[in-house]
Amino acid sequence: MSKLSIAQKYIPKEYTVQEHGRPAQAGDVFSFAVEAHDIKNVTERLYKEHKLPLLLITATDERKISGVFKIFYIFGVPSESVFIMPYITTTKSFPSVTPTIHEAMLYERKIMSFFGLTPEGHPEPRSIILHENWPEGVYPLCKDFVWNERPAQGNAPFTFRTIKGEGIYELPVGPVHAGIIEPGHFRFHLAGEEILLLEPRLGYQHKGTEKLFETLPLDRTTALAERISGDSSFSYALLWCQTIEKLASIEVPARAQYLRTIFAELERLANHLSDIGAIMTDTGFNFGGAQGSRLREQVMRTNDRLTGSRFLRGACVFGGVSHDIDKEAAAALAEELEALRKDLQEVIDIADDTLSLYNRLKGTGVLDKKVAFDHGVVGVPLRALGVAADARVDHPYAAYDKLPATIATSEDGDVNARFRVRIDELFTSFEVIQKALEDMPEGAIASTKEVVLPKNEIAVSIVEGWRGPIVCFATTDENGAIARAAFRDPSFLNWEALGYAGAGNMVPDFPLINKSFNLSYSSNDL
Amino acid sequence: MTTLLWILQLALIPLLSPLAIGLTRSIKARFQNRRGASPLQPYCDLWKLLHKDEVISRDASWIFRVAPFIVFGTTLAIAASIPLLSLSTRTHTNDLLVLVGLLALETFWIALAGIDVGSPFGGFGSSRQMMLASFTEGALVLSLFALALMNSTTDLFGIAEAQSMSGHLFVVPLIVAGISFGIALLAETMRYPFDNPATHLELTMIHEAMVLEYSGPRLALMEWAAANKYLIFIALFGNLFLPFGIAAAGASLSVICISAIIFFIKALIAVFAIAALESSIAKLRIFRLPDLLFTATVLSIIAIVLAL
Repeated sequence: MSKLSIAQKYIPKEYTVQEHGRPAQAGDVFSFAVEAHDIKNVTERLYKEHKLPLLLITATDERKISGVFKIFYIFGVPSESVFIMPYITTTKSFPSVTPTIHEAMLYERKIMSFFGLTPEGHPEPRSIILHENWPEGVYPLCKDFVWNERPAQGNAPFTFRTIKGEGIYELPVGPVHAGIIEPGHFRFHLAGEEILLLEPRLGYQHKGTEKLFETLPLDRTTALAERISGDSSFSYALLWCQTIEKLASIEVPARAQYLRTIFAELERLANHLSDIGAIMTDTGFNFGGAQGSRLREQVMRTNDRLTGSRFLRGACVFGGVSHDIDKEAAAALAEELEALRKDLQEVIDIADDTLSLYNRLKGTGVLDKKVAFDHGVVGVPLRALGVAADARVDHPYAAYDKLPATIATSEDGDVNARFRVRIDELFTSFEVIQKALEDMPEGAIASTKEVVLPKNEIAVSIVEGWRGPIVCFATTDENGAIARAAFRDPSFLNWEALGYAGAGNMVPDFPLINKSFNLSYSSNDL
Repeated sequence: MTTLLWILQLALIPLLSPLAIGLTRSIKARFQNRRGASPLQPYCDLWKLLHKDEVISRDASWIFRVAPFIVFGTTLAIAASIPLLSLSTRTHTNDLLVLVGLLALETFWIALAGIDVGSPFGGFGSSRQMMLASFTEGALVLSLFALALMNSTTDLFGIAEAQSMSGHLFVVPLIVAGISFGIALLAETMRYPFDNPATHLELTMIHEAMVLEYSGPRLALMEWAAANKYLIFIALFGNLFLPFGIAAAGASLSVICISAIIFFIKALIAVFAIAALESSIAKLRIFRLPDLLFTATVLSIIAIVLAL
């Protein structure tokens, strides 16, 4: 079945469908214009009736060309690699879909803060990411925003959600922490040691990344993408390269697709190893923590040897990869990973024998299913609730369509479940890399085609980073330059759910719960 | 001779306590396949802190300023009144109730300093510390009391003397009281499973949360006092519950040397055991800690009944 006919199943007949993407990708984005007053019904039907996951809601400022803003509602069709994208046009305000689709809440708040458009009927229209010192009426993603000058000092009010009552007190934590981590503020409302309400306040890492994509020359954008979240450097580079390749219709050679898969899985290995170690450290089980750091370091050194960067920076380029893995290196890598797998198995066996560890992990930080689904939680925390969702399977990219894909899931939604999902994914990654090393075809590692972006085009791309699916939406302007690049990290949705997973637990368990999500500040604040 | 012994008695704990901490850390590092810092690192840390500038909050009262001196001074007073190497340094402050009183004083001042500045973490640390202290005291006092009953004296030197004379190491009440005291030791010195001395997580801290606002020389005193307390408890355990090798009053220099060697071996074994424990388990959830301390209290009551 062609992608168009798949898309037509979901798109109501009365709308004219526009196909985006060139012959190489056979068009995978299907957009259609919807009247603003109709968008609630259209999105509700896609979300509730067809049960399509909402990937991103974002806006573009096209006032220079057509005098309007466009707001795009991007839905993915799992296992078909098709994106359905209704959009509306507006100049000032737009109807909020949050009352019917709760997870739209943060996207609409972001559009409000960054484009100055008002979501009508939004239950909680508070500013997001930008802080009190940001001047009112200045919207950084609008085209008329002067990005290279310092904005004036603002003084807008900000209020936290509060609970009042006898014996209830507030505990402010951060943005500067006792450990070396990214800055973020957490406001707790407590009764004794019990957490009643927890609200993360982020934005300290906001550095205008999305705006920079519009201003930097194209050949420097991959390096910028790598810096959206340092721990996901390769995933972001891959995501950005895929988006550009879709726009410029560049065919990536098969060998490069396999190499990309191998590098992406190496990044997953390094981060999951670090995470399971950190989860064990946070329970006080230092042996496990030290082993996690040790094993991660081995992967980082392998990365360094293969690509010259511990974080695989510069490894992914438009049209392919920059570093090949020759026969000898492949054999060495296979051997090394097999030793690492055995080593990890040994550590897991020791951890499994430590009852005091599981005593801390089980039943801690349980994420309620309803809360998770309403907030659109993605990635590891979603799979820890027994939902088999993984972009490597749902929207196969690189060489994932030819490689074994088991989606690791667990049932309980607690810290232990997230811990187990990570461990299972580690073993899947070993399998995937080994298979990719065996099957990798000979050939070029990068396309030689010149990167020329088409005019007024749209592309959507998705990559399963180690935290969960990362989505990129990009448009080009009438000159064929990047007009808008929007990124949705899993952290953006999952931070909100973290507050709910924390409530009802004891304060000293919060760091552990936080670690089991291990969300990124940088890629949330952008 | 007596002068020498008194110098030893006064200086032993403060001089060696950083080493005890350093050894615990380096043994832990080995257990975790890490190389770790040198066991002498805590001395360097203290030296560094003593030479650093201090930052004191504008909201701090005199309590915050004097607490480190009181806390450190209290540990010195305790170190001077417990049996260490020899029984010649007996004075009027050797009663076990004096020990318990001084410990309570020390705990009280740390907790007071923790809440003085009004930072939320200090308050957390102090409230957790007081909760633990109220449960620990029972186990501590009663396990010592079992010893007092067995030996018909509440004088610590008297207990150590009577114990080492009797040579009965494996009598049931002694073992039961020893286990109880061991648990109290871990709680009082803020080790696993009660507190994680190595944690960087401000929300889980107990002792570290109370001293979080300190810096420079005052932090050095607080850290040093905690180290002193650690070695004091190890010494108490070694001399009261494994009471052999302590030199009698008026013993010759060579006997004292032997007793010193035995003391170090005992301390080393204790440090090794604590490091092994801290490397092999996770910390307990905070509201399970009272259960453990309650168990310790019950054990010491059993020891008392058996000793009667």
